[in-house]
Amino acid sequence: MPQSPDREDPEIHGGTREISVKITPFTAAPAPFSLRLVQGPGSPRNFTLAREEVVLGRSSEADIQVDSTDLSRKHLALRREHGQYTVFDLDSRNGVYLNGVKIHSAVLHEGDNLQLGSVVLVYHEGRE
Amino acid sequence: MSWFVKFWGTRGSIPAPGPQSRKYGGNTSCVEVHADPALLICDGGTGLRELGLDLLKRKKGEPIRGHFLFSHTHWDHIQGFPFFTPAYDPRNEFLVYGTSRGDRRTFDLLSGQMRSEYFPVEFSELRSRIAPADLGDGHAHVEGFSVRCIEVKHPGRSFAFSFEKEGKKVVYATDNELDQMLADPDQPTRDPSALRAFPEPLVEFVRGADLLIGDGQYTDEEYPTHVGWGHSRATTLVDLAVAAECRQLAVFHHDPMQSDRDVDRKIDLCRERAARHKSKAVVFGAREGLELRIG
Repeated sequence: MPQSPDREDPEIHGGTREISVKITPFTAAPAPFSLRLVQGPGSPRNFTLAREEVVLGRSSEADIQVDSTDLSRKHLALRREHGQYTVFDLDSRNGVYLNGVKIHSAVLHEGDNLQLGSVVLVYHEGRE
Repeated sequence: MSWFVKFWGTRGSIPAPGPQSRKYGGNTSCVEVHADPALLICDGGTGLRELGLDLLKRKKGEPIRGHFLFSHTHWDHIQGFPFFTPAYDPRNEFLVYGTSRGDRRTFDLLSGQMRSEYFPVEFSELRSRIAPADLGDGHAHVEGFSVRCIEVKHPGRSFAFSFEKEGKKVVYATDNELDQMLADPDQPTRDPSALRAFPEPLVEFVRGADLLIGDGQYTDEEYPTHVGWGHSRATTLVDLAVAAECRQLAVFHHDPMQSDRDVDRKIDLCRERAARHKSKAVVFGAREGLELRIG
């Protein structure tokens, strides 16, 4: 049964009601961008992408070294711009396959799969 | 000389930016075909704005010369042009191609969209040299590329282009309702799993492409309510790639209602169909920022 409109609610004063609200501020903590090595020598292993440009390859000069003969010495580069990484094939011998497609470069997104010969890495987006 | 294809806009009909479309992108049709210094641009949807900004970075002050090939002049294929920053620099030069000798239709419609009723800057105020050109009898050599065109099925007309160079071939065939071109239009209903048959001139135009970029806007479920809108079932596009023995298929012109997850599912179904027809074609969803080396 509908409530009578002229029935007075003792808690309402002048058309407003005071209520108690607890506010918990939402803070999105920064999270690192990362590559997870899921197949290949040393897997499983996480690599945090801390710098704006990161080179991955077989060489000890690479920022991320994966000791596989399927990889070129400097196989790929990752560059961060506007909060997202782009992957570039550095003219590698076995190429860079993004989700099964041989690419020259690509903007990466959460869960993207990078295959370099028999080496497989999964990209995880971070938060700046 | 290596050459490349890069996707700057892959969305169909209208831009669809937002968290649902981060992976495939929200910008409308724009694909760059380039082999430094050759620059060919397929369509000028909203993705063209970012291509323009990238060209300024890449060319580092050097003059830019480019060739525009528009499939047609519906909004989602021309809206980026007024925001193409290189068009405002007097050192730059751009040719806008019609598809037959003396055809200025595309050039006139492109400039028409910049009348003051639509846009604050008049076409005549663009300081680069912008001129009409054409593909003669449907075939021309453009900076080392052999470029061909063929009319496809779309309200108001639309054209597909092929680019060949050093034994490699790319076909850009968007805004094309393949389902309306089938030899047997009832076949997909009668026997959905059977390979669909296409007119031979279309198959020959596409044949052997290292990359086919094709209109695959709709899923099988979506298509029946969009018949006649000028876009294909993605599964029908797969069948064209199979029939023409393409090596890679980029499903393009994603429907603006499709989220990234929806496009992922659409592509999964396309891959399953290609595999069922024993095709080795690599099938993927065209996405913004993806660049392939062709040759």
